[in-house]
Amino acid sequence: MALQLKRKASEQDTELQMAPMIDCVFLLLIFFMVSAVMRVPPPFGFPTLPESSTKHEFPRKKFNIFISPDGRLAVDDEEFLTLDELDVFLSAHENQISTLIIKADKRAEHGIVIDVMERAKRRFSKPEGQEIALAVSEDD
Amino acid sequence: MEQVGENKLTMLATKLKERKAPKMDMAPMIDIVFLLLIFFMVSTTFAPMPGIRVQLPPPGKPSPDKPKGLIVRVANPEAAQREGTMILNDEIVDFNQMFSQFINAPEEVKNMLIIQSERQVMHQQIIKLMDIAKQAGIDKIGFAVVARE
Repeated sequence: MALQLKRKASEQDTELQMAPMIDCVFLLLIFFMVSAVMRVPPPFGFPTLPESSTKHEFPRKKFNIFISPDGRLAVDDEEFLTLDELDVFLSAHENQISTLIIKADKRAEHGIVIDVMERAKRRFSKPEGQEIALAVSEDD
Repeated sequence: MEQVGENKLTMLATKLKERKAPKMDMAPMIDIVFLLLIFFMVSTTFAPMPGIRVQLPPPGKPSPDKPKGLIVRVANPEAAQREGTMILNDEIVDFNQMFSQFINAPEEVKNMLIIQSERQVMHQQIIKLMDIAKQAGIDKIGFAVVARE
């Protein structure tokens, strides 16, 4: 008789234990939220990057400098009209930029790329010199 | 008799249990959390970004003395052309010849390539030039600039 009673009781709460699953899901959610780097397009759209057969690999980061074919400048989705504005931005975010990523369109003028590198060189006061990544196309 | 009594007891117990634990409806919250999770999983890119590493010299004035190295001059492209003319050692050189020119260059100038490019040269051409230089084993590349105060 006691056996019968037990079975009845266990049949009554056949509920799934949700708590551990929710814990796991939250943990995963927080991990992905923290590690996510958003792909922010510049106001003039993503540039067509130049091709190169030798390339390094860099981690994706915030604060990418975009250069359009007609020489427009932007950092992420914020456009800068002059190099001096870029200068101000670079000084303000110096601590947050380790490797400066320059995503210049392949049809962009070389002069502007040099101008940006020149500003970066002057603005960042690292004794060993600033490291720059010139982004190239992902497909070979 | 005994059985009836016990049944009543268990019913009472379950009733008490029900009253004690007012359950929260977790389902909508879990739905939303899953949705967010899937969104972040899909939008996260772990693939690294390919690029060319450039180590800028420390800030300060560029050295006035002439560095030794191969000097390639790149002229602005002509109206209908995509690539500007490249001159190495007073000779016009195209990309097909560039690699062998670099390989066959004398040892003392082989450590560095100096690119003297005009402003309107396309970024792609310079990247290609750097690419060839790297393949030829030249690891230092300098960009010639005009000193400006």
